[in-house]
Amino acid sequence: MPDPTSPSPTSRFMDFWRVFRRNRMGLAGLVMLVVIVFVAVFADAIAPYDVQSSIDVTTSDIYNPPSAQHWLGTDDAGKDVFSNFIFGARVSLTVGFFAAFISIFIGGVIGIVAGFFGGRIENIFMRFTDIMLVIPDLPLMIVIMALTKKPSLINVIFVIGLLGWTTTARIVRSQTLAVKSRKFVLRARAIGAGKGHIIRRHILPLVMPILVVNAVLVVSLAILNESTLSFLGLGDPTALSWGQMLNYAFGRGAMSTGAWWALVTPGFGIVWVVLGLTLFGHGLEQVLNPRLETHHLMRPLPIVKNDATGQPLLHSTGERVALLKPILLRADSLSISYINDGTRPARAVENVSFTLREGELLGLVGESGCGKTTLMLGLLRLLPAAGQIVNGEVWFGDKELTALTEEEMEDVRWKGISIIFQGAMNALNPVRTVGDQIAEAIVKHDATMKGDALTARVIELLDLVGIAADHKEHYPHQYSGGMRQRAMIAMALACNPKVVIADEPTTALDVMIQAQVLELLDSLRKKLGLSIIFVTHDLGVVAEMCDSVLVMYGGVTAEYSDVDTIYNNPRHPYTQELLKAFPDLSHPEKRLTSIPGYPPKLDELPAGCRFAPRCPLVFERCRVEEPKVISVGERHMASCHLLEEDE
Amino acid sequence: MKRWRYLLGKIGWAFFTILFVLVLNFFLFRVLPGDPARAGVHDPRLKKEAVEAIRVRYGLDKPVINCFESLNPIKVGSCGVNPLETQFFIYIGNLLKGELGISYHSNRPVADVLLERLWNTVILIGAGQILAVIVGVIFGVFAAWKARTNVDYGALIISLIAWSLPTFWLGIILLFWGSNNGLPIGGMQTPGMSSQPFFVRFGDVLSHMLLPTLTYTIVYMGEYMLIMRSSLLDVLSEDYILTAKAKGLNTFQILKDHALKNAMLPLVTVIAINLGFTMAGAVQIESVFSWPGLGGAIYEAVNRRDFPVLQGAFLLIAVGVIVANLLADLTYSYLDPRVQTE
Repeated sequence: MPDPTSPSPTSRFMDFWRVFRRNRMGLAGLVMLVVIVFVAVFADAIAPYDVQSSIDVTTSDIYNPPSAQHWLGTDDAGKDVFSNFIFGARVSLTVGFFAAFISIFIGGVIGIVAGFFGGRIENIFMRFTDIMLVIPDLPLMIVIMALTKKPSLINVIFVIGLLGWTTTARIVRSQTLAVKSRKFVLRARAIGAGKGHIIRRHILPLVMPILVVNAVLVVSLAILNESTLSFLGLGDPTALSWGQMLNYAFGRGAMSTGAWWALVTPGFGIVWVVLGLTLFGHGLEQVLNPRLETHHLMRPLPIVKNDATGQPLLHSTGERVALLKPILLRADSLSISYINDGTRPARAVENVSFTLREGELLGLVGESGCGKTTLMLGLLRLLPAAGQIVNGEVWFGDKELTALTEEEMEDVRWKGISIIFQGAMNALNPVRTVGDQIAEAIVKHDATMKGDALTARVIELLDLVGIAADHKEHYPHQYSGGMRQRAMIAMALACNPKVVIADEPTTALDVMIQAQVLELLDSLRKKLGLSIIFVTHDLGVVAEMCDSVLVMYGGVTAEYSDVDTIYNNPRHPYTQELLKAFPDLSHPEKRLTSIPGYPPKLDELPAGCRFAPRCPLVFERCRVEEPKVISVGERHMASCHLLEEDE
Repeated sequence: MKRWRYLLGKIGWAFFTILFVLVLNFFLFRVLPGDPARAGVHDPRLKKEAVEAIRVRYGLDKPVINCFESLNPIKVGSCGVNPLETQFFIYIGNLLKGELGISYHSNRPVADVLLERLWNTVILIGAGQILAVIVGVIFGVFAAWKARTNVDYGALIISLIAWSLPTFWLGIILLFWGSNNGLPIGGMQTPGMSSQPFFVRFGDVLSHMLLPTLTYTIVYMGEYMLIMRSSLLDVLSEDYILTAKAKGLNTFQILKDHALKNAMLPLVTVIAINLGFTMAGAVQIESVFSWPGLGGAIYEAVNRRDFPVLQGAFLLIAVGVIVANLLADLTYSYLDPRVQTE
C-alpha cells in the first residue's frame, strides 16, 4: 500500500473538488455558507443602519412593519431588524465556530490518544466519554450558565465548547483504531518511528476526513445551542446574536403585537446556517465515504432483448443420464449486462445456452468473476439492481421465465427452482430462528400448511439433512458453519423444487465439512431425484458427481459437454489449462501449473476472444475476432478459433 | 449466566453514572459563584445573626466534605469531623430520603414542585417521541426502499430541513400561527376547567398539547428518518434479503418479516441516546408554550434564580435519562438474540 501522505495537498484537494462539485446537495450547502460568511464579514458595508446608536429612536419606531425604510421592519427597541440580522450573523457564527473549535480539539485529542495508546488510558478516557454522553448537555449548559454571575460571550463559547466534544471523541477513537492496524503504520512502528511522528504523519491524515465531516455537525450544534441559551436569557445581553434577538422579541411583546417580522427573521438566519452546514456535511460524507446505495428490493431493470449479437442456438449435448429424460430447464443465448451510470455496460454473461434434464447434475465451472453467479441469479431474475437481462430466453417446463410478471416469478421461485447461496452465515436472517425461516418458505407456497403438519414437515426436512429436531428453535449464530449450510439445504428442499441451484455451497467451510455437505447433496439428489446445477471451481467434485459440465470464461461459454468428454477430450485451451491446474491421481508425478493472469474485467473486455490475453495457443485472429460457440463433436460444444480452423 | 453478567454490568454502570451526576451536581452548585444564598453570606449589609441564620438554614455551617476545607466558605470543621455531618453526605442522605431542598421562590419542598410537573413532561415527551418515531420510520422506510429516486431525495431534504430547525423557534412560529387560529396560547389547560366533566377537560388538554407535540414531532422525526433510512439500506443489501426474495416472498413480506425488525434494532439505542437531546427539546418547547413540566421548571428557575429547583430538576432529568438508557440497553438485549451470547 502506498503511503497516503505522498500526493501533494493541492492535488488531493483538486481530486476531492472534482467529485464534490457533482454533489448537488453538498454544493448547495457550501454556497449557503459562503453567502452567510460574506454577509457576516462585510456586515458594516451591507447593513443599512448602525445598530449601536440609538439617537433617533422614538416610541413610534417600535415594531413597525416592513417598509421602504426598514425592509424587515423594526424591533422592540425601534431598531432596524434587517441590520440587526446582519450583525447577528457575526455573533452567531463567531460563537459557533470558536465553540466548535474547542469541542473538536478536545474530542480529537481524547479520541486519538485513547485509540492510539489503548490499554488503561483508553479505558479511562472512553468511560468518561460514555458518562458525559448520557448526561443531557443542554440542561447542564443551562445550569452552568445560570451559575456564572455575568453571562458573557466568552463564557458561552467555553461552556458550549467544553461540553460538546463527546461524539467527536468516539468517532475519532474508532477511526484511529482502524488506522492503527494498517500496514504502513505497523511498518513505521517496526522501524522505530516516534509516536508523535506516527500520529502526525500517518494517523492524522487518515483521521482528518472523518474529523472534518464531524466538525461540520459540531459547528451546527454549537450554533443551535448558542441560540437556545440566548433565547432562554442566558446569553450575553450586549451581543445581539440571532438567539438574543428572538429572546427580546418573544419576551417583549412581538407575539401580542403581531410583529411576525421580528420573530421570523432571526430564526431564518439560524435555519439558513444550520441547513447550509447540514447539506455541506451530507455532501462531504457522501464524497469522502461513499457507499453504494443499492439493495435487493430496488425495482429491477426491465428485460430488454436488444442485444442482437445472438448466435445460432445449438443445444444438443449428451449427458450421463438417459437422453430420453425430459428437459426441465433450458437457457437459450442468455445475455446479462450490468448497467451503471456513466460507464459502459459490463457484459457479464453473453449468449450462454444449456439444458438441464430431470435428475441431471450439471457442473458450472470457471474462475471467480466469470459470470457464474450472475447467470444463476439471472435464471431466477434475482439480479442486483444494476443487472439487466439483455438477450435470450429461459424455459422452465412450458414457462418462459423472462416473459413472466414479477408475481408469476414469485411462484416459480423456491417451488420450481430453489437456490443454495454461498456462505450461509449471511444467507440466514440472524434474528429469526432457523425453523421459522424454513416454515416461512413452506407456508408461502402452500397456505394450507399450518400447525402440527407444518412443524412435522420442518422436523422432517431438518432430519433429512441430519439436524436434530430441537435445533429448529435456535438462531443461526448458534449453529456451526456446516450446520448452517445443511439448514440452508433443508430450506432449499422445503417446497419440493424440481431444480436446485447450489452456488458454491461449500466455500468458506473447512475441508472435512465440505466433504460432508457434498455427500449429503449427492445422497439427497439420488433419494429425491433432484436436478441440480452445481456452481464450483473444484474440478475434483465435478469429476466425481456431475453428469455434464459447462465451463465459463469471462462471461461466455468456453466448453460444454458431458463429464467424460470434458475430462478425457477437452478441446478449449481454457479447459485444458484448468485441468493442468488440478491434481491427477493417476499421474501424481505430473507438475501442477496454474494459469498466469486473471479473468478480464467485464467492463474492459478484449476485442477478440476473451481468453486471448492468457491463452498459450493464441494467434492473430484471436485478438480481433470473437469465436462462436460451435459443435466440435457429438454433444460437445466449444468456442475457439483453433477448433474452427480444424474443420 | 452470561446474560446475568451482562445485565449486572449494565446496571452497575448506570449506578456509577448516577453517582457521578450526584457529585457533579453537588459541586457545580458550590464552586460556581451564582447562588444568591451563598452570595448572601458575604453581603456586608446583613447583620451577623442574619448571616448565621442563612448559614444554618442552607446547611452552610457544615464543612463541604472532609479535608476539602477550601470549599467551605467560613472554614468550620476539619478533617476530623464526622463524615456524616459534612454537607456532601447530608446532601446524599437527604436525596435518599427524597428531599431536594426548599424552593427560594415558592418556599415549598423542591421534590413536591418537581413531582407534580414530572408527569406533564412525560406525557408531552411520550406523545412527541412516539409520533416522531412513527413518522420518521415511515419516511425512512420509503426513502430506503425507493433509494435514489425522487421519493428518496424528497424525504431526505424534508428531514434535513426539519433537523435544522431550532426547536424553540419552530415552537414560536407554530404558536404565532396557532394563536391566530383559535388554538390555546399556552399552558396545559384553560383556567376554570376543573368543574367540567372529564371528557371536556380531556379535550381541553388535548387542544393544548397539539402544538407542542407537533413541534416536537417535526424536530425529531428528521433524525429518525435518516437513521432508519441508512439502517434499512444496510439490511436490504444483506444476503438474507436475497434469500427471502429467492424464497418467493414479495416486497411487502420481505420488508415486514425480514427487514424491519433488523433495521429497527439500531433505532432502539438511538432513541435512548436521544433522550438527552429530547430533554433539550422539552426545555425549549415547555418554555415557549408555558407547559408546566420539568423543562418549564428549569426555565422559570433560571429566570427567578431559584437554584434549589434548578439543581433538583437537573438531577431528576439526568437520572431519568440514565435510567431510560439502561432500559433501552436491556430492551435491546431482549430484542436481538445475538447479544445474549456475546
